[in-house]
Amino acid sequence: MEPVVQFDHVTKNYGSQVAVDDLNLSIEAGKFVTLLGPSGCGKSTSLRMLGGFEMPTSGRILLSGKDVTRVPPNKRNVNIVFQDYALFPHMNVAKNIAFGLELKGLDNKSIHRRVSELLELVQLQDYANRLPNELSGGQRQRVALMRALAPDPDVLLLDEPLSALDAKLRQQMQIELKAIQEKTGKTFMFVTHDQEEALTMSDTIVVMNNGRIEQMGDPSTLYGRPGSVFVANFIGETNLLRSTVLGAEGNLTALDWNGITIKADQGGLSPKAGEHLYVVLRPESIHCSATEPTSGNRIKGKIRQRVFKGNHTSLAVEVGDGAVLNTLVHPGDVAQLAGDDIWVGWKPETATVIPDRHAHR
Amino acid sequence: MRSLFSDAPRVTLTAIYWAFIFYLLLPLTLMMAMSFKDANFVAFPIGEWTLDWYAKVLQDKQFLEACLYSIMIAAATTLAATVLGVWIAMLIVAEGIKGQVIIFALACLPAVVPGMISAISLRIFISTIDMPTGTAAIILGHTVHAVPFVVVMALTRLRSMPGNLVDAARDLGADSFVAFLRVTLPYLGPALFGGMIFCVLLSIDDFVRTFFLGGYRPTLPMLIFAKVQGGMSPEINAMATLVLVVTAAVGLYAEYLTRRARTR
Amino acid sequence: MSVPKYSTGMAKVVNSSLYQHTLGAAVESRIGRIILLASVPLLWLIMLHVGPIYQMLKISLLSHYPVQPGVESHFTLANYAIFFQESIYFTPLIKSFIFATGATAFTLVVVYPVAYYVAKIVKPQGRSKALLLLLVPFWAGELIRTFSVIMLLANRGAVNVLLREIGLIDRPIPMLYTSFSLGFGLVYLICLYMLLPLYSAIEKIPSPLLDAAADLGAGPFTRFRRIILPLSRDGIVSGCSLVFLTCIGVFATPMLLGGPNTVLFPETISSFFHGASDKWPVGAAFALIMLVTALIAAAIFMRLVGGSKRRAI
Ligand SMILES: Nc1ncnc2c1ncn2[C@@H]1O[C@H](COP(=O)(O)OP(=O)(O)OP(=O)(O)O)[C@@H](O)[C@H]1O
Ligand SMILES: [Mg+2]
Repeated sequence: MEPVVQFDHVTKNYGSQVAVDDLNLSIEAGKFVTLLGPSGCGKSTSLRMLGGFEMPTSGRILLSGKDVTRVPPNKRNVNIVFQDYALFPHMNVAKNIAFGLELKGLDNKSIHRRVSELLELVQLQDYANRLPNELSGGQRQRVALMRALAPDPDVLLLDEPLSALDAKLRQQMQIELKAIQEKTGKTFMFVTHDQEEALTMSDTIVVMNNGRIEQMGDPSTLYGRPGSVFVANFIGETNLLRSTVLGAEGNLTALDWNGITIKADQGGLSPKAGEHLYVVLRPESIHCSATEPTSGNRIKGKIRQRVFKGNHTSLAVEVGDGAVLNTLVHPGDVAQLAGDDIWVGWKPETATVIPDRHAHR
Repeated sequence: MRSLFSDAPRVTLTAIYWAFIFYLLLPLTLMMAMSFKDANFVAFPIGEWTLDWYAKVLQDKQFLEACLYSIMIAAATTLAATVLGVWIAMLIVAEGIKGQVIIFALACLPAVVPGMISAISLRIFISTIDMPTGTAAIILGHTVHAVPFVVVMALTRLRSMPGNLVDAARDLGADSFVAFLRVTLPYLGPALFGGMIFCVLLSIDDFVRTFFLGGYRPTLPMLIFAKVQGGMSPEINAMATLVLVVTAAVGLYAEYLTRRARTR
Repeated sequence: MSVPKYSTGMAKVVNSSLYQHTLGAAVESRIGRIILLASVPLLWLIMLHVGPIYQMLKISLLSHYPVQPGVESHFTLANYAIFFQESIYFTPLIKSFIFATGATAFTLVVVYPVAYYVAKIVKPQGRSKALLLLLVPFWAGELIRTFSVIMLLANRGAVNVLLREIGLIDRPIPMLYTSFSLGFGLVYLICLYMLLPLYSAIEKIPSPLLDAAADLGAGPFTRFRRIILPLSRDGIVSGCSLVFLTCIGVFATPMLLGGPNTVLFPETISSFFHGASDKWPVGAAFALIMLVTALIAAAIFMRLVGGSKRRAI
């Protein structure tokens, strides 16, 4: 099937600054795609180019196979949910949602039907006549969403729409947003710098850094098999173990880390002996016990720090000379770790290797 | 001890404020009071109250015609100044246009040129383009006078407008013109209405431009000027009181509107 | 439930081929948008904001205008020279400056405490009411306010009547048609132009700053001189410039309140435009002299007080 959105070698410069650098991206219809990256990496710029508010310096943008690079925003079938909602302050909720429909030339009845339908979708039927400044943050958010969905766009663009909400409401809206996406079957292109948000909602996450795509994939792949140090660090908490390859053992690789021999998944690479690599080891993959585990990687260590985090306790365990592994322990297991001397262990296939970029240069 | 000290300035300032209010309101209150007096001259205390002078003024054809003429000029001025002022303000905030500072300075020029000089220069100007003195010339002069105020009011409001409102309208299918009509203009709305009323008052109040640009038909200030030159009379009191009450009511309403727009 | 009314008409207009081929097409192109946006404003600004001043300048350099048949008009500087030759010409300008400067200074001193009171001493809830009370006379026009001053100061005016009534005087004190009545009237006319800039400048001074100064032992006078005055400088500059420039250009008030000894420059200028005389060039030259000197005076003042270079609008 043809992708709805295609960025074809798109570059955007502001003067000498490169905001987006040779972006190539295809998005399938009906997917919830998230652009994730640190502040200033070019997420908003990419979105605004797709919306028609910025012209790429070079490259093409295609929408449902049609080149729209030079089409003004009002002639593109995409709609944006702005970060601060940009609701029209002088129009009530219903008029806000109807704005795009009115301009499509629909008759009064059809507009009314569609507006009612959308208000029902987010349970705001009773608020149709309120002005935006008479709504709560979450309600404004929903109205902005419905206003953008009303004209039935090919793609819905959302630029950090949840960042103005408090933590609790934010989580609730994440779930609601995902539910609406599934119910409507629309393609959502969502921008955030919050990795947790991205993991919760997305079908596909596009990790961006310095105007380029760092890695693209579904959340579990990105989390479990990050393709680069940047991605591993950016998504979730992680232990990065810089190691030297000793040799392959089937799907696994044996490596030397600070004089300790460990094994890890090859992660699609074919490492050669002597090469330097990073092993990605998530804290929750590590198992702590008072006695030595019987299989897998295992190291003896000393607990240096315990931090109680509610549903788990996080431990910093010193292994070997100065190297520290971060792990987490569930409440039930804490009791048996009274002493400072413990064993940490993990199954080799839960750790994966990623190339050390610097080693290549 | 300390509070006694720090209260001294407060008490003095309060006294000054009320003394100032007294000064501001005294002449006008006096004028209004005398308009109800049953005699031809100022005297205290007002013995007999009467509305005769009002009856006389309201039957004065010259006065009524001057009122109507002034209102007509004010309406035309306001319309022209609003359209031009908003247009100029839109140009000043537009992206991708150079020289905004110069355009803004030009727009404000008539506000810093003293009234007399503005009137003279306009008198000369209309004669160089062979325009006769009269209604059209007055409206032109008043509009020049009013435009800077509309520009500044519109600019203040435009600058406080979230930039992405227009983006949102464009995104939902409006071209630049429709976005202006449906989003920018309503956003300006209340502030603009306040500005329009200000234009009305500027125009109704103007004497010097009308004096040099007008024909034989007197506007309200011209009529009052002529009557005042003729000497004091309770009829002028009544006339001035009527005008004052109406303009103050309109002015207060405008003030209320701008205030409400600001808090929105 | 009733169906609300949506604006469906707009789409019909926008989608009509007439719109699509005219305005619609224009706003879609960059050039079209710029032309639509800039044409009328630039035309207006150049024609009517600059045009009159330019024409005035041009005519001030002509020997005759309006040109009568049979008379040749030529370039000359004589119109400017006249000004310096006769004291009946330059004395009014000096008087204009004296009255405007005096009125400005007096207004500043009187209005400053009032503005300070409203901005800092009145509680925020009461502020708009306190301000509104000050603004009420503002809505009475120039002529009505001038007339009310006549009512007060005339020989048969309120002050004289009252003084006679209580037996302090037996013949009226002549106050109208003197420098006093003119000064009084000017101040009455313009004091509110001073109030608003001062008020907004003083209101912006953070109150904690004053409290901090008081804590450090600064008395009211020191606080005023060292903190309030410097921080309200912008307001003083724009208020004074506004009042000064307005005062200079006032025409009706001096004619009604002044006497033979208080002829101000606007009246002098105006005399060249009466009747069908061809003295316009002299009037134009005088008006320019007044404009330039007034702007220079205002600029010097701004420099001296040294606030930011914001224009007084
Ligand atoms: N109008 C502009 N003019 C100049 N530089 C710009 C402009 N807009 C963006 N940039 C620059 O381009 C880069 C990318 O900006 P962009 O807004 O796309 O970042 P972002 O990923 O959305 O960041 P954030 O998470 O902070 O919103 C930034 O370095 C920014 O400084
Ligand atoms: Mg952004």
